[in-house]
Amino acid sequence: MNNVILRTQKLTKTFVSGRGKAQRTVEAVRGVDLEVYEGEIFGFLGPNGAGKTTTLNMVTTLLAPSSGQATVVGNDLLKNPIQVRQHIGYVSQAGGSDTAANAYENLILQARLYGIDLEKATQRAKDLVERFQMSEFADRLASTYSGGQRRRLDLALGIVHHPPLVFLDEPTIGLDPQSRAYFWDEIIRLKKDGMTIFVTTHYLDEADNLCDRLAIIDHGHIVAVGTGQELKKQIGAESIVVGFQNEKVLNMAKQSLENQVFVQKIYTEENKLHLFVVEGEKLLAEVLRVLDKSQVVVQTIELAKPSLDDVFLQKTGRSLREQGE
Amino acid sequence: MKFFTDGVLLFVRHIKKTFRSPAWLIIGMSQPVLYLLLYMPLLKNVAGGGQAVSAVDVTRLFVPGMLVIMSMGSLFAGFSFIPEMRQGLIARWIVTPASRVAILLSMVLNNLVTLSLQSIILIVIATFFGLRISVVGGVLTFILILLIGTSMAALSYAISLTTKNEMGLAQITNTFYLPVLLLSGIMLPISLAPHWIKVAAKFNPFYYAVEASRSLFGGNLTAPVVFVGYGITILLASICVWSAVKALQKMSA
Repeated sequence: MNNVILRTQKLTKTFVSGRGKAQRTVEAVRGVDLEVYEGEIFGFLGPNGAGKTTTLNMVTTLLAPSSGQATVVGNDLLKNPIQVRQHIGYVSQAGGSDTAANAYENLILQARLYGIDLEKATQRAKDLVERFQMSEFADRLASTYSGGQRRRLDLALGIVHHPPLVFLDEPTIGLDPQSRAYFWDEIIRLKKDGMTIFVTTHYLDEADNLCDRLAIIDHGHIVAVGTGQELKKQIGAESIVVGFQNEKVLNMAKQSLENQVFVQKIYTEENKLHLFVVEGEKLLAEVLRVLDKSQVVVQTIELAKPSLDDVFLQKTGRSLREQGE
Repeated sequence: MKFFTDGVLLFVRHIKKTFRSPAWLIIGMSQPVLYLLLYMPLLKNVAGGGQAVSAVDVTRLFVPGMLVIMSMGSLFAGFSFIPEMRQGLIARWIVTPASRVAILLSMVLNNLVTLSLQSIILIVIATFFGLRISVVGGVLTFILILLIGTSMAALSYAISLTTKNEMGLAQITNTFYLPVLLLSGIMLPISLAPHWIKVAAKFNPFYYAVEASRSLFGGNLTAPVVFVGYGITILLASICVWSAVKALQKMSA
C-alpha cells in the first residue's frame, strides 16, 4: 500500500501579471511536498484561491511549475511530460465533455488520442457506457444531457485509457445529493479496480467519509496531511461551542476565555465561540463557571466531536462552509 | 505518425461539429453575396475614373477583395473556440499525449474547409456576374486565400488562448479588423487613394495579398506583386501559427 505513485518536492508557482509599475507577482503555490500512495483515495482540500487548482494543474502537466519537481506514476514531470500524460486521467471542474458529440464519439476520440486503436476504443466506449449506466442517452448529443449525466461522461472520459492515477477536480460540485452519492460509489469502484484517486472537494463530510488520506492546502502551503482520524486527533479531542445573544456578549466571553489554560485555540463563527479542548466533557462546567464569573449570559453550549470542519477551521483560520460554493 | 493520426481524429471531430450546424455557411456567404449584388455595380463607374468599365474587369478587381474579406473572417474562429475552452474540452485534449501542433492545426484545417467552400461558392456566383479567370490564376489565388485564412484562424486562437474570454477577443479583433480592411484596397483599389493612404497601406500585409490576387485574376501570374504577396502572406501565416502553438503550449507547459 505504501508505494508512492505521486510525489512532489518543493513545487512552486508564481504568476506575474501586469507590466512596469503595475507588475504584481502572486505566489499561488509556495513549496508543496506531497506523497500519494498507490491504491488510495487522496483528498486535497483548501479554501478558494489556496493553490489547489494550481497544484493540480502542475501535476497534470497543464501548467509549468516555477520551481520544484514531481514524479508522477514513475515519470519525471518536467523531463517526461508525455509519459506522465499517458499514465494519468484528469477530470477538470468544467468537465470536458464535448457537447457537440454523443457519448460514444466522445469516448472513442479520447481513447484514440491515447493511442488506442479503433476496435479497442469502440469496445472501451461500449464498456464505459454500460458501466456508468449511460445506454439510455449515450447516442444523443452531450448538449442534451442533465448535469448528472454529463458528469458521468466526464468521469468515463477521464478513465478511458485505464490510467493508474486519476485526478478529479471538484467532481461532485453542483450535483444533487443523489447524484453525488452515485458518483462517490463509482469513485470507490475505481479504487477497488486498483486506481489511485486524487480528488479535490468542498464537501468535507464526503472527504472525511470517503478519502483514505487528506491534505489541506492554505496560502500555497500544505498545512496538514493525514487520515481524517489523525487530523481530528491533532487538533485536540473536541470542541466546546458556546452560543451568545450578540457579538458584544461574544467578545466579552472571548476575553475571559482566551487566557484559560485549558483552551488550546479559540475561533468565532457568527455568534458562536469554538473552543478547542482536550476532554471536553470535564470542562463544560468550568467554561460555564468562568463565563458566570465574568457575568456573561450563555445562550447555548454544546460539546462537539471534532469534524473535518474543525480541522479546517483550525488549520486555515477559515470555515469552508462559510465560503459557500 | 501519431501526429497525423491525432490531427486527423480531431479534424474529423471538428468537421462533424461544423456540419451539424450548417448555419455558418449561410451566414458566412450572405455578406460577400450582398457585396456582389449591392456594391459591385457601383464600382462599374468609379473604378474606371468615371468611364464605364467592362463587367469582366470589375469582377477581376472586386472578387479578389471579397475573397480576402472572407479569409479575414477566420479571425472570428475564436468565438466558437472560447466556449470549448470554458467547457474544459481543450484541457481534456491537452492532458492526453496528443501533439499540440496537431491539436492546433486540426482546428485551423477545419476553418479552411469552410473557407474553401465559401470561396468556391463566391467564385461560382461571380462567374454569373461576368467573372472570367484562368484556372492557374484561380488556383494560385485560392491558395493565397487559404494562407490568409490560416493566419487569421491561428491568430484568433492565439488571442483566445491569451484573453480567455469573448470580450477580449472582440475588442482586439474589432480594433484590428476595420483599419486593416480599409487599408488593403479591398473596397476600392488603393491606386485611387491620396498619397498618405498609399503609404499607410504599404504597412498592411493584406494590401499585398489583395494586389497579388488581383494580378493573378488579371492573368499576370508572374508579376512581382504576386511573389511579394505570396512571400508576405507565408511569413504572416508562419508567425501566426507559431504564436498560436506557443500560446497553446503555455496553457499546457
